[in-house]
This record gives sequence, C-alpha cells and structure tokens, in this order.
Amino acid sequence: MQQPLSSRVGNDADPALIAAAVLAIWEEIDDALTPVIGPLGLVALYRRTVRLAAAQHPWLAGRDEGVLTDTDPAVLKSVLARRNSAEAAAGGNAFLNTFHELLASLIGPSLTARLLRSVWDNPSSGATAQDI
Amino acid sequence: MSTKVIIQRLATGVPGLDEVLGGGLPQYSFNLIAGAPGCGKTTLAHQMMFELATPERPALYFTVLGEPPLKMLRYQQQFDFFDNQAIDHSVRFINLSEAAMAGDLDHVLRQIVEAVTQYSPALVFVDSFRSVVFASSSENNPHHKLQQFVQQLGMLMTSWQATTFLIGEYFVETDANPVFTVADGLIWLRQSVQRNSMVRKIEVMKMRGQPTLPGLHTFRISTAGIKVFPPAGMRMAVAADLFATAQAERLSTGVPGLDEMLGGGLPRGYSLLVAGPSGSGKSILAATFLAEGVRRGEAGVIAAFEQHPNRARNRVLVDLVERGKVGLVDSRGSDLSIDEVVQLLLSEVRRLKATRIVIDSLTGFELALAPTFRDDFRESLLRLVTVLAGEGVTVLMTSELEDRYTDLRFSPYGAAFLTDAIIVQRYIEVDSQLLRVMAVVKVRASAHSNQLREFSIDAGGIQIGQMLPDQEGLLGGRPTRRRRDEWSGAVDPAEDD
Repeated sequence: MQQPLSSRVGNDADPALIAAAVLAIWEEIDDALTPVIGPLGLVALYRRTVRLAAAQHPWLAGRDEGVLTDTDPAVLKSVLARRNSAEAAAGGNAFLNTFHELLASLIGPSLTARLLRSVWDNPSSGATAQDI
Repeated sequence: MSTKVIIQRLATGVPGLDEVLGGGLPQYSFNLIAGAPGCGKTTLAHQMMFELATPERPALYFTVLGEPPLKMLRYQQQFDFFDNQAIDHSVRFINLSEAAMAGDLDHVLRQIVEAVTQYSPALVFVDSFRSVVFASSSENNPHHKLQQFVQQLGMLMTSWQATTFLIGEYFVETDANPVFTVADGLIWLRQSVQRNSMVRKIEVMKMRGQPTLPGLHTFRISTAGIKVFPPAGMRMAVAADLFATAQAERLSTGVPGLDEMLGGGLPRGYSLLVAGPSGSGKSILAATFLAEGVRRGEAGVIAAFEQHPNRARNRVLVDLVERGKVGLVDSRGSDLSIDEVVQLLLSEVRRLKATRIVIDSLTGFELALAPTFRDDFRESLLRLVTVLAGEGVTVLMTSELEDRYTDLRFSPYGAAFLTDAIIVQRYIEVDSQLLRVMAVVKVRASAHSNQLREFSIDAGGIQIGQMLPDQEGLLGGRPTRRRRDEWSGAVDPAEDD
C-alpha cells in the first residue's frame, strides 16, 4: 500500500509543507468518507485517531491548541507545522496510518482500501501539496 | 395501434423471494420494506442491492438516521453477498443524517434529487424511513409534510426510472399511514416469538399488478443472506398423472411377506403411514424400505427427527447415509417451518434423484417445528404429502401411536386420511409374552390383505409370521384363546349361545 504522505512530500521537507500535505490528505479523506458515513461519523473517527496517535507522539495532542478537544483539523496542521521535519513527518504518518487502521478495524481492510483508494493509492494527487 | 406497457420484473436474487413476490420486482416500482428493528430489513435491502446493481444499473443507498453507516457496513460485510468491489462502482452509499436530523424534509429531498441527478441510479434505497417520520414530527403538520415528501419522492424516482425502496423501521400496520397508499409494494418482515423459539416471517402485503403469494412465509438469515421458504407449489396435476401410473408399478418394502400383504408392494408415488407404539419396529421398517430402494438402485432421503442419526441403532441406515445413498435431513432444533422442511427434503430429493422418502417420525417432526406452526400441523402435513407426491416420490412416514386398547387409532393427528396406505403395528400379550402384530389397514385403490399377522424383529430385520387365528380380541391387546372348534369354523354359530 502506498503511504500517502511520503509519496507526496519527503521526510526532510519543510514542516509547513508536511503539515499542509497532511491537511490536504485529510480533506481528501473527508471527501471520500463524509458522503458515506456522514460528517458526524467522520468527526468521531478523527477524534479517536488523534487520541490514539497522540499515545505514540504525545506532542500531537498539542496541549495548548487542544487538538484532542477540537474537531478542526487545521489545529492539527498548526501543531505539525511547529515541529522539525522528522517529527512532523513521523507525526503525520502516525496520524494517517492510525486513521487507516482504525477504519479497517471497523469495516475491514478490504472495504477501507476500497473507500480510500483515491487517497492511498494515488501518488499523482500529490501535486497539491507540492504547490503550497 | 396502441401498445401496452410491459413491466419488466427484476429478479431479486434472494432465494424464494421472487416466488413470493409473484415473479420478481416490478421495475420502477416504489416499495416499502417495513418491520420492527432486527427483523432483517437492511439485510434484505443490501442483498437485493448487491444482486441487482451493475455498473450500467447502479444503486444509491441513502442512510438517513437509522443505523450509523459505519456499523451497517461493518455488519453487512459479514454476508456473502456484500461485495467490497462494488462499492463506489455499482453501489454508492450516501449519508443524509445531517439534513434529516435537522428535521428538514425538503433538504433531505433536495439532497436525494441532487445525488440521483448526479449518478442516475436504477435502484434507490432510503434507510431508514421511520427516522424521516420522526424527524418530521417536530413540524407543525407532520402527516401532511410526510405525505408530501413521500409523494414527491415516489414521483421523482419513477420519473427517473429508478426502482425505489423505503426501509421503514417501525410502522403500525393498522395505522392509516399515507406511505402505504403511495407505495406500489409493501413488504413486511416480522419476528414471531413463541416461548423460546423465534421464526422470521415475510409478507408481501401489496405488490401492484402482481399475483403475490398471500400470507406469511418463513425465512432464515445465514451468512449467505436471506432465504425465503415459499410454500412449495402443489403440483396436483402431476400427482394425478402419477396416480394412474402408480397402479402399474409397485415398490418392494424389503420386508418378506409385507409386499404380499400390501397387494404386491407399495404403489409408486404413494404415501404410507406406519403407526405403532414405541419400539414396535417402525424405524426398522422405514430403514428396510430405504435399504431395499438402494439395493434396487434407487436413492432415498430420510428426515430424521427421532433419534440422533449417529446413535441410531440401525447400522444399515447409518451406512447408507455415509455411503451417500440416502440423504439425511436432520432437524435443527425447534424452529423449523414446514415449508423449510419441504425445501430441505426437495433439495435432497433432487440432488440424489431420490425416489423414496422417509419421515421418521411425525411425532418428532411436530416437536421440531416452531411452536407457532404446531396449530396448523395437519394442514401443513397435507401440503408436505401433496408436494412430495407431486414430485413423484414414495413417502413412508412413521407415527408414534399411544397404545390404547379401547379404541383403534392410527395417528394422533388424524394424519391417516392424508396418506394413501396405512400399516398399523400393535403389541399383544399372549402366554405372558409381548408379541407384535401388524396389519395393512388401507391401500388406496388397491386390493390388500386384511390379515393381522404376528411379526418379530431379529438380526435379519422384520420377519412376518402367521396369523394368530386361535386368538381373538388382538386389537384389544389382551387376546383370549378361542376354542379350537370355534376358529376351525366347524361349529354352527348358533351353538355359541
């Protein structure tokens, strides 16, 4: 499976670029899933994902910004953008992979792959992140 | 010249459902799937959707306020019909919970229109509808609003050439719900609970322009999805033909002497009831009947409700089942319906091209049925016998007969009149021994013996012996020895007095 983040930006890219790429990917996820599971369903998944990913990278919780309590992914973006490149890439990947695993645990890997195929298996869609 | 419209019928792919619907779903119809929570509405909708949807004939599945879509996807995936590859291809899920939760039916409708315009679906599902009813009840005039919504939706979908399903969570049947009037089809799912058994039932209450099968039909949900058990068609005409040919061909029961008593064997296509008390040898007779068939190259099927098949004393039968010469239809607890048993029997009969069927016993069969069907046992039995006769098979049924010596009974169900032939077995006491006797009571349209013959069971099976002409009152169970001069017939009856 293609890792959406590393296929769009390098691990040593500017943290702001990495953060923007994570947000762009999340917006694609939003586009793919919201019609199916509804906005509330997606928000619930988002909050769970942030909590799980913050267990690996506590800084993701962004204590001051309140990533754990806010449902706006822009807050997550700003937290990522303030780390160094390696941390931002690790945190971004952890967030996206955790989300993928969480969804797969609920509806199975095959249906997850099916619903998110435009995001996960589409390296060419990385152009948006590079343009920022 | 006028040409009438031809309504295409879609095959739902749900086993048995098309039959109940009267030939499939009318294309572009507007249908309601109603029932209490947990009765299988969403499963039915999904099963039909995955069967019917193709890239050329795509389906839209709107989730409104019912089950959260994630959960629905999680659980529906467990079914074999759920095809991941179809999603976002021929099948598309669209969530409308936000607009629905706001109680804004117009918005819900707008979103549906938008999606329908975008994807041009041939199939539209709205799950679930009670949510919509619920949401609209906050408005000033909920009924009016709802009717408007449904009417608009119905009109829109028909014009868009979409076959539509509203999945309703909870409706009161007697309620004069305007939705019922608008809908072309009304499919009701039910769970009937009696004591500890639960039986699922489906009823097509309405399907415009179609000869549906009226009444409640049982269905079962397994990993393969829903399977409906419509009443097997009564092929009376075929049965009548067979009746004629039956006269020519007789089947051997495998018991020496019994064939002669039956007037030369059991006519093919007949149903035979073997009634007798516990341990009198009914099951052995039944097994012998099947074994004789196999010996002559005819496969058989046994529906065993009595003993656990592997614990059956009859090694012959176990062996026949293991060798695949006899199909086994085993009871599955206490929630069977007659129609399901008929289906199971018929599929085994067709698989093995079997000609002999044994139901051992009716008593056990009745116990294996869900309590809800026991009231109609006799009617159901008649259907079972008729269907099997229509299939051209010969049926042997055993029936436990309570040993009553005050009256002559053949079956506790009055099943006797259903069958073409009857053999009755009894215990009698003679010289401080328990002996068995057997008689052929009836063979329809055929001469048969009227003798009451003593019989025994040994390693070789049933051995028919002689009459006991020196005993009288055998059916009373305690015969008395007649005076020799009496049964020899030499004495003038007048002298008895």
